[in-house]
Amino acid sequence: MKSPLTLEPLFHLGPVAVTEPVVVSWAIIALLGIGSALATRRLAVLPSRGQALIELVVSTIDAQISGTMQTDPAPFRALIGSIFLFTLASNWSSLIPGVEPPTAHIETDAAMALIVFVATIAWGIRVRGLRGYLATYAEPTWVMIPLNVVEQFTRTFSLIIRLFGNVMSGVFIIGIILTLAGLLVPIPLMALDLLTGAVQAYIFAVLATVFIGAAVGERHSVSAEPKP
Amino acid sequence: MRIDWQTLALQTINVLILVAILARFLFRPVVAIMDERREAAAKLLADAETEKTKAVAAREAAETEAARIAASRDAVLREASEAANAQREAALAAAREEADQVRSSAETETRWARAAEESAASDRSARLAVDVARKLVARLPDQARIDGFVDGLAQALAALPEASRGGFGAGDAARLIAPRALTAAELQSTRDALAKALGRTVDFAVVVDPAVIAGLELETPHAVVRNSFREDLKRIAEELTRHDGKGL
Repeated sequence: MKSPLTLEPLFHLGPVAVTEPVVVSWAIIALLGIGSALATRRLAVLPSRGQALIELVVSTIDAQISGTMQTDPAPFRALIGSIFLFTLASNWSSLIPGVEPPTAHIETDAAMALIVFVATIAWGIRVRGLRGYLATYAEPTWVMIPLNVVEQFTRTFSLIIRLFGNVMSGVFIIGIILTLAGLLVPIPLMALDLLTGAVQAYIFAVLATVFIGAAVGERHSVSAEPKP
Repeated sequence: MRIDWQTLALQTINVLILVAILARFLFRPVVAIMDERREAAAKLLADAETEKTKAVAAREAAETEAARIAASRDAVLREASEAANAQREAALAAAREEADQVRSSAETETRWARAAEESAASDRSARLAVDVARKLVARLPDQARIDGFVDGLAQALAALPEASRGGFGAGDAARLIAPRALTAAELQSTRDALAKALGRTVDFAVVVDPAVIAGLELETPHAVVRNSFREDLKRIAEELTRHDGKGL
């Protein structure tokens, strides 16, 4: 059994070593991209069942963003929605025999957390302005500046570790049990992994929404002109 | 455990590419179709609201028109009622006037008819009285039908004006009309009475006429002296049948 904490390159593209999480991520991206293109190819005002399901997913994501940020979800829909769908697809990819979910490797989780980290700062500055965004670190008082700066990193780190720990542990446990007990014993744990994967994808997306929303501030319109 | 920075960079790029792909092929078209549906629904609602507004306006216009028609109908009915009342009053007045005229005519005709009936009844009564008198006189003795009238004839002759009396029976032949043939004594007494009244004798021819009933009548071409029941009854009948209120 391979350790989920180590990565071995599958092949190299020039100087770049391509590991398994990258390949699986490509497969997931291809699946989601092609599936989306096919599903949205013939959208109609009177929706079919499939279109209604897709619209339900998008509407739910919009409702979650609106409920959390109290603002128009359109600017954040692509990022939050994509992170949620990618995390969910990655977590559930463990159901395919021989496939390790990319989120079971810390590089994938760190990549998404890094994107959220950068997006938080970028939208904060765009909406509040540089001075306004920096002023948020002095809330409620300037004494809190060090703690707020540290929190900015620790919450991103916790975002990484939470997803990585849950998914990696699930894969690790299933691998151990599969090694020790046999073929059918891990099935209940795999079902549990489905639930855990969905919950972790939801938590990751919601926390990303909360972080960005906190940086933007309630009732601030993202489409507003940036403050000088 | 160590972090593979190349994998981290590739995964970061992968996630960003996925964000771009899903934004292009999933979220944008789905949101567009949802917005299109929302706009269509809003347009439908707006159209429905417009149609509703038009319908409300049309209904209000119809109600206004109905109220106007009702008012016009009431006015027409009122005018018609007033005209009908006026015509009825006029018809009643005309009918009343005509009825008055008819009643007046009927009353006049009734009066005339009553007067005619009264006149006819009076005539019948007079004729009846004359017939009764004629029948009663006819029962008198033949002698009484002559004797009692000789003196009366002489007195009537004597009462004539002198000019009439002088020419009476002088040239022309006189006729003595009697109800029956006179006896010789009656004829003689008559001659005597006439001679006494005229102061001269009078030659006359006796003519029998039962219509005289009783009495004598003396006629000449220029004068007549009557003393008979026929003449009396004739005069009585004339008096009875006069309708000028001056009769008997």
